[in-house]
Amino acid sequence: MKHVNTIIIGAGQSGLAMSAQLITRGIDHVILERGQIANSWRSERWDSLYLLSPNWMNGLAGKAYDGPNCDGFMHVSELVFRFDQTAAAMSAPIQTETTVLSVNTSPTGYVVQTDQGAMTCTNVVMANGACARSNVPGFATNLPQTMHQFTPQNYKRPDDLPDGKVLVIGASASGQQLAREIQASGRQTTLAVGTHLRFPRTYRGKDIMMWLDVIGATSVSHTEVDDIARVRRTPSLTLVADDTIDLNTLQNEGVEITGRLAAVQDGTALFSGSLSNLCEVADLKMNRLLTSVDEWIEDNGLGTLVPASERFEATRVPTAPKLKLDLAREGFKAVLWATGYEPDFHWLNLPVFDRKGRLIHDGGVVSDGLYAMGLPYMRQRQSTFLNGAQSDAAALAAHLGARIGQPLAA
Amino acid sequence: MNVQTEINTADNGVNVEALMGARAALTDAPAAAQFTWRADCEWMGGVHSRSTVNGFFGLGEEQNHTTDFTIDADHPPQFAASDKGATPVEIILSALASCLTAGVASVAQNRGIQIHSVKAHVEGDMDLAGILGIDADVRNGFNAIRIRFEIDADASPEDIKAVVAQSQRRSAVFDIITNPGNVHVTVA
Repeated sequence: MKHVNTIIIGAGQSGLAMSAQLITRGIDHVILERGQIANSWRSERWDSLYLLSPNWMNGLAGKAYDGPNCDGFMHVSELVFRFDQTAAAMSAPIQTETTVLSVNTSPTGYVVQTDQGAMTCTNVVMANGACARSNVPGFATNLPQTMHQFTPQNYKRPDDLPDGKVLVIGASASGQQLAREIQASGRQTTLAVGTHLRFPRTYRGKDIMMWLDVIGATSVSHTEVDDIARVRRTPSLTLVADDTIDLNTLQNEGVEITGRLAAVQDGTALFSGSLSNLCEVADLKMNRLLTSVDEWIEDNGLGTLVPASERFEATRVPTAPKLKLDLAREGFKAVLWATGYEPDFHWLNLPVFDRKGRLIHDGGVVSDGLYAMGLPYMRQRQSTFLNGAQSDAAALAAHLGARIGQPLAA
Repeated sequence: MNVQTEINTADNGVNVEALMGARAALTDAPAAAQFTWRADCEWMGGVHSRSTVNGFFGLGEEQNHTTDFTIDADHPPQFAASDKGATPVEIILSALASCLTAGVASVAQNRGIQIHSVKAHVEGDMDLAGILGIDADVRNGFNAIRIRFEIDADASPEDIKAVVAQSQRRSAVFDIITNPGNVHVTVA
């Protein structure tokens, strides 16, 4: 059986960042990719998607973005192009069209079984992504048979939807963005709003991601936050490229908002009555963040160099949001589940999961020679950002190198 | 070197250490977190009834309050009733206010916020056309509930709002009222 020192599973931003680290350290490795490089970005995203992070944040494999527009936002197809370019330039040892079927321990490390044969290795890096599967609640099966159901992974464009009203469930980045484009396509859209965050795209003249970066909000270590389990469940940053999107802008465009979808019974969607509190929480958290930015600007004496502090209109909550919708009778033809994503480690035959099936890890270190990457707040908030993969890869490669007897400073 | 430690001196009379200890213990022992609450209700004549609560199940075994508690429910003279207690719907409103108020004290304690007073004013709107069977399109229950808190605490208005918001997110009664739930009724 073929043996390599390290097998990386997945050729996305995490896999390439780790590969770059191992190349530098001279550690023999292979990246196993179920499809093509950047497969999720390539095949599981919608047509209109521009990255939510400005280009200066979108470097790959340890390299800074080298394009012409650092403050711009790239279309997902440009990102895929840059993935191909980067992988070729660094000669990353990628084996495409190879699906991992199982990972088991062996006397010398691990046995990785794939649909192209088996390999043994000393280390495994699971870089297959936090967004492998859409998280769809069990009561989705209670929807009427005639209802077309989509997730952000198989939705491509509004014209693929039937004519008629659409219920979008979930108001984080994906849900808000897709509600906007579906409403703009002429399909009356209702957005069911659960726990969500709210951000302005720009604040005091600069992109909000720049402020998050300079105040240090994206790089606080997982060992320094109060309740890491809770932080890891925090919803995504609700942003859209180049523009502010929030429940107010969506309502201006005609989207109706309701509370969290609580259940589906006899074809009727039942919504929670807690909408006003969830909106209040999102507004409070946004204002707390803006206050941190104001304080940072004040502390650094930059107050006169940027526009003045401001606060945005509170989220407008309808007086009596709908509590139920008889979907078929009201003319709903499609439901889009933007209810989050989860990683997929079903092939990992090791007792490393908690009772809810979540991977147990300490900053990406799962057990001897087994590493994860790209998970929510794995080592810091930016663990799930494109350029955040770089520092995580460096830290885990140092751990991996020390384990196999490399000196710490490679 | 001068090391400054922030000391949490807030005392709202909530034993947060015990609650946090219970949270940690029950995270590792999910079976012990399964509770069943009970109330026994007896008809007293007319629309007057009396509920008694004492026993409950939790932490893996039968438990008890330190004493029986009784709650009388009746209806006011405007309903041609004897008015020997609050109406059941007023008891619901008071349960909601009590649950959120307990949450406010606990969350504030956990955040080191000293509270001096908390008052909650609760209102629920109801169209009697529902329960009287006048109009099938009108629901029996409240069509809107409003709560107004007056809180005196050593914290900014924003921080007080955040405490109230967090209290709603952790409230059992708030969840019971805002989300659908199944109820099974049998006759012995």
